[in-house]
Amino acid sequence: MLTRRKLFKQSAVSAITMLALESCYSSPEIPPAPDGLGHNFEFLTPADRGILSKLTPVILAEGLPTITEQKALAIREIIVGWDIAVSGLPPLTQAEIRKLFSVLDSNFILSLTPRLLTGVPDAWDNTKEIDEFLNNWRFSDPQSLVTGNELRVGYMGMVELTMASWYANPRSWDFCGYAGPPVLW
Amino acid sequence: MHEKQNEIRDFVAEGFQQGWKHLDASSLSSDKTLETDVVIIGSGAGGGSAAEILAEAGLHVIIVEEGPLQTSKDFHMKEDEAYPKLYQESGGRQTKDRGIKIFQGRMVGGGTGINWTTSFRTPATTLKYWAEEMGLKGFSENEMRPWFEWAEKRYKIQKWTVPPNANNSALEKGCGKLGISWGKISRNVTGCLNLGYCGTGCPVNAKQSTLVTTIPGALKAGAMLISKARAEAFVLKKGVITELKCRAMTSRGNAPSGQLITIKARHYVLAAGAIGSPAILLRSGEKSLNPHGLVGTRTFLHPVNVSGAIMPFPVKGEYGAPQTSYSDHYVETRLDNKKPGFKLECPPLQPMLMATALDGHGKIHAEIMKQRPNLQVLIALQRDGFHPESTGGQVYLKSDGTPGLDYQVSRYIWEGIRDAFLAMAEIQFAAGAKMVAPVHRDAGIYGSIKEVKQVIAELPMEILKARLFSAHVMGGCPMGEDSAKSVVNSNGLHHEVGNLSVFDGSVFPTSIAANPMESIFATTAKFATDLAKGMVN
Repeated sequence: MLTRRKLFKQSAVSAITMLALESCYSSPEIPPAPDGLGHNFEFLTPADRGILSKLTPVILAEGLPTITEQKALAIREIIVGWDIAVSGLPPLTQAEIRKLFSVLDSNFILSLTPRLLTGVPDAWDNTKEIDEFLNNWRFSDPQSLVTGNELRVGYMGMVELTMASWYANPRSWDFCGYAGPPVLW
Repeated sequence: MHEKQNEIRDFVAEGFQQGWKHLDASSLSSDKTLETDVVIIGSGAGGGSAAEILAEAGLHVIIVEEGPLQTSKDFHMKEDEAYPKLYQESGGRQTKDRGIKIFQGRMVGGGTGINWTTSFRTPATTLKYWAEEMGLKGFSENEMRPWFEWAEKRYKIQKWTVPPNANNSALEKGCGKLGISWGKISRNVTGCLNLGYCGTGCPVNAKQSTLVTTIPGALKAGAMLISKARAEAFVLKKGVITELKCRAMTSRGNAPSGQLITIKARHYVLAAGAIGSPAILLRSGEKSLNPHGLVGTRTFLHPVNVSGAIMPFPVKGEYGAPQTSYSDHYVETRLDNKKPGFKLECPPLQPMLMATALDGHGKIHAEIMKQRPNLQVLIALQRDGFHPESTGGQVYLKSDGTPGLDYQVSRYIWEGIRDAFLAMAEIQFAAGAKMVAPVHRDAGIYGSIKEVKQVIAELPMEILKARLFSAHVMGGCPMGEDSAKSVVNSNGLHHEVGNLSVFDGSVFPTSIAANPMESIFATTAKFATDLAKGMVN
């Protein structure tokens, strides 16, 4: 049965999908992709990597090294870790993550509609705005009539992949007091 | 450090070098057809046990496993390596509405390769419920005892007498102070070095997974193993299965490669776990395999919620056997099912698993990660399936034919989850916690039981707010006497299709209310012994 709520939900989902479709126009505001450390990227596009380079420091905050060069290297490694992790996921999950990036990339649209729907920042150089965007998605109502659970799920996906990529990296282990796997012999 | 690990004898790898039959399906460049007496789909607790019993009875057995063959030398105790290689969907499998994250093994050894070795007999109260409420025959405590004893002997399940790590000892201490019953967990290990990395594959062959026990047993008896092959569907003629179609996977293992394997057998055993087994039946699309639409229904998860605590001392829960202490207080005091019972246990605390289990980002997340060495974590496993409102989930097929699980958490179970947040906080404060954090989107971190109690009472019990997990998928092909209300009979044989059995956690008519591995070992041993007799005669 198509309820009023479902109708709302479906129109919102198609709005997001529309955004995704339109995002093939690349935005001048997408940050440049950081150096990939020689990794051959299978999933992440330069635009995805640019966005991740701005999201990562906000997601991990003090968890990242404070020294500039170390921090920059950590971010590059996290992005490589993301690519490796996503490339190993089932094709359907990869398609969902592709859709997520399409929404993130879609900030070129000047209309208010997408920002009301997704709250993606206009520009990726303002830490405070990125944090607000993340919190909007984090605390979005999973039962929302407009966006359904998509924003909350999108938030969890972005954050978990970033956390996994960093805290599996030995460079993070000093910070979280982990001595690494035991040495056996 | 990893280079030196081969100092432990990797007798499974040696067995293959010496001629155990193995086909890595990702290496195929053309289709293949094979014939055998029995094909077993899955190599975990059910598949492994069945394989050895049937092969030793003199039957020719082929084991088909979707995951890779990895042995002790390949297990490096690294999270980023293990989850993508050894878990379904890289450890990221979720229910349809994304409310529950599901950890399932996908490797030769199945869940037994990556689980935390916790071994419980099926609780007597669960067996009693099956007999009295669901009319199941042959599963009384007395009738099951020999099969539990078989499992305990074959998989070396024994009391763990080494002192617990500080994570588990906090559970013991907190329960002790509150006057709540607790116990020590038995484990399927021998020569365990107490490392704490059961979840990333045992690097020293201490864990008695099927990978190092019954799968080698079956191979020694002449069985053949096919890894990286996903069983797709059964083909039926005149009401019996004539062949199984399998898809070879790519070497990375996340998608089919294009090559097909056809296996013709006298008998077919589904042991692909409680999501995989129903999915194969559903994909086969034959009415006789699912005449009453029950396949994939009543799927249970023991939904798990989590409570973190900052202790005034180092916990270092990443080291030491991860799960050695438990409390059944809230199971035993709730057997009337007025409120759901839940079992309390501990998880391992390696940083990646922990960082991804917490909700949130930024400063607060980083602060908790900084205090990680002092973090103590409890988990509560809800006893689902014992109440009219707790009907479990439904396995369905996604657009590409891969399985998903639609599991709606009932209001009844949500109240158990709320109670569990409080019970865990009480134990943690009693064990000396400075701060306690219920893992919930809307919760913070609190310094007193009074404060956290007020918060827990108000927290919205909704998916994607409370973080929920599961490592135990059960049901979906329930066993029973009445063919209109169950998929297989109490011998694990399909009610309608005579040459099909289901030997895994999907036969359970409710959740187990304890970690299910030993229940699967014992049930399978009972079923497979019976099947072997029938087939050999």
